[in-house]
Formats: sequence, C-alpha cells, structure tokens
Amino acid sequence: MKEIGPGAMTTISFKVNGGLVEVEVSADDRLIDVLREGLRLTGTKEGCGVGECGACTVLLDGKPVNSCLVPALQVEGREVETVEGLAKDGRLHPLQEAFIEHTAVQCGFCTPGMLMSAAALLRENPDPTREDIARAISGNLCRCTGYHQIMAAIEDAARRIRAAVPETSEAEGAAGTPEARRE
Amino acid sequence: MDESRWVGARVARIDAEDKVTGRLKFMSDLSFPDMLWGAVLRSAYPHALIKKIDTSKAEAMDGVVAVLTHRDVPGLNGFGIVVPDQPVLCADKVRYMGDAVALVAATTKEGAREALQAIDVEYEPLPVVDDPEEAMLESSPRVHADGNIHHHIKVERGDVDAAFRDAAVVVENTYYTPRQMHAFMETESGVATIDEDGNITVWCGSQHPFRDQLQIARALGMNPRKIQVVSTPAGGAFGGKDEITVQIYLALLALRTGRPVKIVLSREESVVAGMKRHPMKIRMKTAAAADGTLLANEVRVVGDTGAYASLGGPVVNLAIEHSCGVYRMPNVRLEGFCVYTNNGLAGAFRGFGANQVVFALETQIDMIAERLGMDKLEFRRKNALRQGDVAALGHTMTASVGTIATLDAASRCEIWARREELKAMPSAPHKKRGIGIATELHGCGLGVGLPDYGAATIELLPGGRFAVGVSCPEIGQGNTTAFAQMAADSLGCSVGDIVMVSGDSRHTLDSGTSTASRSVYTGGNAIRSAAARMREILADVAAEALGAAREEIAFGRGGVEVRSCPAGAARRLSYREIARIGEGKGRHLKAEGDFIWPVADRGLEGYFGLPHLIYSYITQVALVEVDTLTGEVEVLRAVSIPDPGRAINPAGIEAQSEGGVVMGMGYALMEDTVIEHGITKTPNFSTYIIPTALDAPEIETIIVEEPEPSGPFGAKGIGEAVCVPITPAITNAIHDATGVWITHIPATAERVYMALKEHA
Repeated sequence: MKEIGPGAMTTISFKVNGGLVEVEVSADDRLIDVLREGLRLTGTKEGCGVGECGACTVLLDGKPVNSCLVPALQVEGREVETVEGLAKDGRLHPLQEAFIEHTAVQCGFCTPGMLMSAAALLRENPDPTREDIARAISGNLCRCTGYHQIMAAIEDAARRIRAAVPETSEAEGAAGTPEARRE
Repeated sequence: MDESRWVGARVARIDAEDKVTGRLKFMSDLSFPDMLWGAVLRSAYPHALIKKIDTSKAEAMDGVVAVLTHRDVPGLNGFGIVVPDQPVLCADKVRYMGDAVALVAATTKEGAREALQAIDVEYEPLPVVDDPEEAMLESSPRVHADGNIHHHIKVERGDVDAAFRDAAVVVENTYYTPRQMHAFMETESGVATIDEDGNITVWCGSQHPFRDQLQIARALGMNPRKIQVVSTPAGGAFGGKDEITVQIYLALLALRTGRPVKIVLSREESVVAGMKRHPMKIRMKTAAAADGTLLANEVRVVGDTGAYASLGGPVVNLAIEHSCGVYRMPNVRLEGFCVYTNNGLAGAFRGFGANQVVFALETQIDMIAERLGMDKLEFRRKNALRQGDVAALGHTMTASVGTIATLDAASRCEIWARREELKAMPSAPHKKRGIGIATELHGCGLGVGLPDYGAATIELLPGGRFAVGVSCPEIGQGNTTAFAQMAADSLGCSVGDIVMVSGDSRHTLDSGTSTASRSVYTGGNAIRSAAARMREILADVAAEALGAAREEIAFGRGGVEVRSCPAGAARRLSYREIARIGEGKGRHLKAEGDFIWPVADRGLEGYFGLPHLIYSYITQVALVEVDTLTGEVEVLRAVSIPDPGRAINPAGIEAQSEGGVVMGMGYALMEDTVIEHGITKTPNFSTYIIPTALDAPEIETIIVEEPEPSGPFGAKGIGEAVCVPITPAITNAIHDATGVWITHIPATAERVYMALKEHA
C-alpha cells in the first residue's frame, strides 16, 4: 500500500476489469470514488457509505469487498472487477442472463453488488446450496425483491456454468417470441 | 386485435439488461461538465426558533460557489403535496432534525460539506413535542401556529352502541405500530442543469414528475414550462419519493450558480430527513353475534405525521377506510387524527395507512373467531364482502371482489391445509410453531374527490417501432414492462417493438403518480385509448396507400392487410412500411389517449380521497417458529395470494408479492425508526435492521384472477396490498404457536420474550 500525507495526491496503478489504469488519488479517496468519479464506472453503487448495504460490492483480487470501505491507496498493483467487467466479448455473464430471466431485478440499484457477490461465490463454490447462496449475499441488502428470485437466478447460473453450455430458458430477452415465455 | 399474446406472459423486464450490466444511469450516476456538488444544512435541534443565520464564513471558503438561505427562495418558501407547510429553507423556526436551513454549492463534495460547518446558525430551543396524544392537548406546545391536529376524520353509520349491547362477543384492544422506513437502496439524490435561456432540468428519481415540476415552479416563482423534471429511473421509492425530496434544492442551486449541481444524500441524512410510515396508536373495539356475524367496529386512530403534513391527512383517511377490512360491518364509529410532532416526517409509504389498521383488525378477527370457537378462515369467509354488498363507509361494492377466491386458494395451500401436522414438528423442543392467516382489500387510485386521470402517447417511429409514453415513473415495480406488454397487444406487435418513455415532464403527458396501486390500471387504460386512435391513423394511411376502403383494413401481427383486395394489388403493409409512407407524406403518426378513473357511488361529505370503487384483494398465510427461550421469531414459509384482476406479467406479480412479503415481515418483526426527544437513534443499516436473504422465508405466490371489467385487460393494481396482511398473518401465527397476542409491533425477540413470560 502506498503512503502519502494528508492533502497530497499520488498516482496509483491497478487493474480494472482486466485493463491497467493509472489514477491520481488523495489519502482519503475510497475505491468507490475512484471507480465512480475517476473512472466513470458508475455501475458500482453507493447505498450507505459505511459497509452495511453491499451495493458497492466489487471484487478485489477475486474477493468481494465493500468498495466504500477500501482506501484507494490499498488497491495499488491489485486487480479490481466491477459489474461492467462481467459481460465478456459482448456476451452476458450467465449470472446476468439468469438475473434477467428470473426477474431478479426490480429497481436495479442493489443488482451490481448482488451480482459481484454471486460471482465471487460461484468461483469458490460452483455448486452452492440455497443456504450457501443466502449466506453469500446476506451482506447485500435488497428492498424490492424477497431475495428468492435472486437466489433462484444464482442457482440457475451455477447450473449453467457447470454445464458450460448455456441452456435456453423459459424467458429470453425481449426480442424472443412470446410463446416461449408462456407458463 | 387486443388478443392477449404478451399480456399474461412471463415477459423479461425491458429494463433488466441495462440494470444487470450497470449501463443504466440512475440520477446519482449522472455527471455534467463543470458540475458543482450541493449540500444541505439540516437543523441542529428538533424544535427551535432561528435567531440568526450568518453565512459569511462559508461564502468566503475556497471552492464555495453559493450559499443559500430562506432569503434566496424567489417564490413560495414552502412545499407539500396537500398543504405547502414545509419550508424549502427555514426562516424563523425549525420543527425537526431534518429541516433544511441553508444550501451550499461547491466545486467538491468535501468542500460543500465543510462549508456547511462554517455556517453559523443561532437557535433558541423550544420544548420538544414527541407524544402525539399529548400534542393533541390544548396545553401542548405548538409545532405549527394553527395547532397540532393537522387533520381529523369521523365517520358513523348504524347504531354502534346498540350493536355492542346486543353482541355475543366484544373484543377491545390498543395497538401500536412502528415508524417503518422505506429503506430504498438509492438515497434521495439527483442533478439539476440549466441552459443559457434559464430553462432548468431536474433529474431526480421520484414518483410524479408533473407535481414535482409544479412544486419546483412555485418555489422558484417560475413558469413551470421552463422546468423539466425527469423522474425515471428511481432506485426504489415505495412512497418515500412521492413528496419533494431534493428537487427544489437542486433547482435553486442551479438557478443561482448557472451550473449543473448534484446532491446525493448520505444514508444518515436520508434517515433523519426522509419520509417514514406513520406510527399509529389504534384503539379498536369489535363485536360479533353468537353465530359469528360481525356487528360493529369502533376505531380510534392517532397517527404521528411528524413535523409536516405531506400526505398525512390522506394516510389517516385511508386508515379509516381500511379499518373494517374486507368485512360487512353494518355499524361503525371510526375516528382518525393526524397529529404534528417533532418526530421526523411521515407520509406516503406502500400500504398508505392500511398496514397499521389491518394489523389491528386482523388480530381482532382472530380473537373473535377464537372466542366463538370458529375456524379463522371460515370466519373470514362468512363475513367477507361480496360484489353488490354495502361496505363500511356506505358505498356499494360494484367492482370485482376477490376475497372469497383468495380465501379459497388459501384453504387449499399446503401450510394451511396441513397446519396441524406442520405445527407438530418444531425444529427443537424449546421451539413452537404456528400458522396465521390474514386478508385485506386495498383501494386502487386516489378515491372520491381527487382528479385521477391517465394519459398516454403512441408514436410510430421510423423503422416501424412504437414509442409509448406514460409519465408514471418506473420506480422498480416494473410498470414500464407491463405498459409495453399492453401496448404490444393493443397494437398487434411485439414487446421488442415498443420503446417506453417514462417519468419525463417534457416527453410524456401527465398521467399522475406511481402510487396508490394505480399506475398499471391508469397507464394501461390510457394506452388502450391511445392505441385505438393510433389504429385509426394507421388504417387511414394504409387505406390511402393501398387504395382500399377504410373498413377493408384489418390489423394483423406487425402491420395491416386488406380483407378482400383486387388481384395484383399489395395486400399487406407492415408498420415499417406505414412509417415510411407517413414520412414521405410529412405526416407525424402520433396519437394521444386519455382515461378518467371511475369512482365509488358515494363519498363522505367533508372529506376527499375516499372511499374507493376498485380494490385489489389478497390473503396471506405464514408459518412461524418461535424460540420460547429467546423470544426470537422465524418466518419459515409464507403463501401470498394476490388478486390483481388480471396478471399482466405473472413474473412481475411474483416479484411484487415476494418483495411485499419480506417488507411486511420486516414491519412485523424488526423494523422501527426510533426517535427519542426528536433525535433519530437508528440512523443507518446497523441500527435500522431490514431483512436479508437469510431472513427471507420460503415464499409461494398463488395468483388468483377476478377480472376487473374497467381495467386494461381486466387488471388492477397490486403494488401495495402485497405487503399488508402478511404482518398480522405473522403475528397471528405467533399467537397460534404460543398463545400470546401481539398488539405492539415490531414483535422483536424482547417483546415476544416479555409477552411469553407474562403469559406463563
């Protein structure tokens, strides 16, 4: 971790979603400030600022952290993943597809943090139980859903990742046919 | 046309992809060149006179561009949906800790917050009014000069005293309900921009852009036409963004500085300054005959609206309307008070007064059924209003009534049908299980005496897609997807061909609020009206182009065709082709639709906003387990049985239903914004606890459809009802498990433990 005095600025470099970035930060900048304001990666949300709601969850060296609690200086030389990095080559991550199909999204403000916690879980544990899932996202508050559609989506995504071949599901994107979407 | 291809299907939300990728910009994500950060100086006391405000030190600070006080409000220094009693910036008095005294705009967020601390305000503290019943006494210090009773409603029908005299069972109890917080994940926040002509745009997630526009215009003393309000998307609202939040502050700062200004409330500031659910004290006395027929209900409600009115009066009115629930109640004496205190601010919140009284009533119902030895579901069925019955307020239930259908489904659901079996298998010897049921009806729309209207626009875009505009904002509930489905079926195209325009005062017509379980019903009916006109226009253009008579034009999927057309002529035109023809002729293919709500056959003289004509219906069942050593309650399973008339999108109804169950569970068991002597003691999520994934029960949603003929495709609203009866279903289940009646929520472990001790 870099050390600087109060009020001073310094440049840090770290990886965001696979790409190397250099940003100027002060001692009291938090990782969330660097992401949202410095890099304009506004997918990461701030819901409480004190690590209680999980909306700002990102992965730091693969582990979920509340980016509102991480001093920017601490990420020097490390790797950060945000919701913007989930989709690869224009293809949605299985978690993103499953969230869409299971109506796991309502207002959407907790969604990015929820997805990142889920992504971390599935890397560690490709076949989680409901209990594992509930525990993994228990630091991510959601006020719109009852969490079940989210947990069902994570379960479904885990299945797809394990199968490595994306399955089609009952509800595809809005461009599909309605017949496929009927109960 | 109007066949249901999309309506009734489990359609993926049209905004979901933008949300899962992080692409969607919430208002707190917006940023503009040269943008300033705004901050609000809140009161230092819950009740005080302001003797002096000195901003000179703050103004002199580096990076501070503007400091505003009440002297800088050009127009009306007040806002409020019903009466503008809340100052934009307080001049001579503060009435709660969230009162705004000054505004700062600075080049950095930190600079703006530091400048707040440099503003010198001299106060003279006043006695704090924190008990609503004491506040009602003449001897109480006054929060407002006119007195502390903001609103009083009294309704009497029949002969209540005679009914109580003749009744076989009378139960009477006092109930207390907490100050629940909306706890939307995105705090009140937004940006205002101003152009060179002085036109202001306020980007702020809220529930009614046109009313925001009006309230901003009043405060700025400006023509509303010069103000655009964009309200979609909001990161959750639940009623808490119905009233003005930061819109006027943003507009004032942009007007003064000529630059974009952004304000994002911290969670702590949001908790202290923001809206809450009214805490209520409810005295309820309910009578029944020996055969289980309900005879009378006497209700007295005192609601604590905090420092300002906002929608406190209407909330208490709706508490009165919902206080007899789904039941035939021939004799009633109902009285409600909405009282000012220095306890924060209360206003609209999903359920709007029903949550409190339905908790009380559904507990009374269980008590009476138990006293009479009747089955709790059958007791409800016996007394439930049917279509054609006269309701407690004297109006006739002419619209669809779904109580019986939801009760029938409840009787068949697993946790009710197998309740004795499930009860007998607690997870540990010191735990006890119980099953509870509760039901409600919920008024849709604004009720008698308030103009309640809808409007929609449909425009055929080059390329053949349709832009559909309805102003009711998307606050997470999914109304834009439901609108797109209804528009697709009304126009014979697919959801993918619909581009929704939502929550924008410049690009939509005023369709009212996203509140009151009204937006799908209102917007849907307005879309159907606009679509009918759009089809006329399309038929005109097509008939001319195809050389056919208008009557010969028929609508099919994605276009029109001529029923019987001469050999060799083109038989069919797609919407894309019609768009091209229209363009070629310079014709703007756009239609507007409108809709006015039908209302109940009878109002209440002297009051507005009640009763309602159309209600949504819901029954909910809960299975709980109570730890008798700690008093801790776990909700294991819940069944939610809403009647939305017609489920436009069953997946969306399930989403609402599950979210409602968990929100109503939080209300039953854990949530309360504690305010002591006017000071908030639970300012963040470590002290104000909402349910997490670990708390959520297993939830089954059974959709029952009793189509409402006046609704679009038979639909009515369901957004509020889903969070209401689950609360008494849970507390009734606690009784079923332990024999303890819960009359004070939240039923925290401590309260349940003490009650168990007392009961033993």
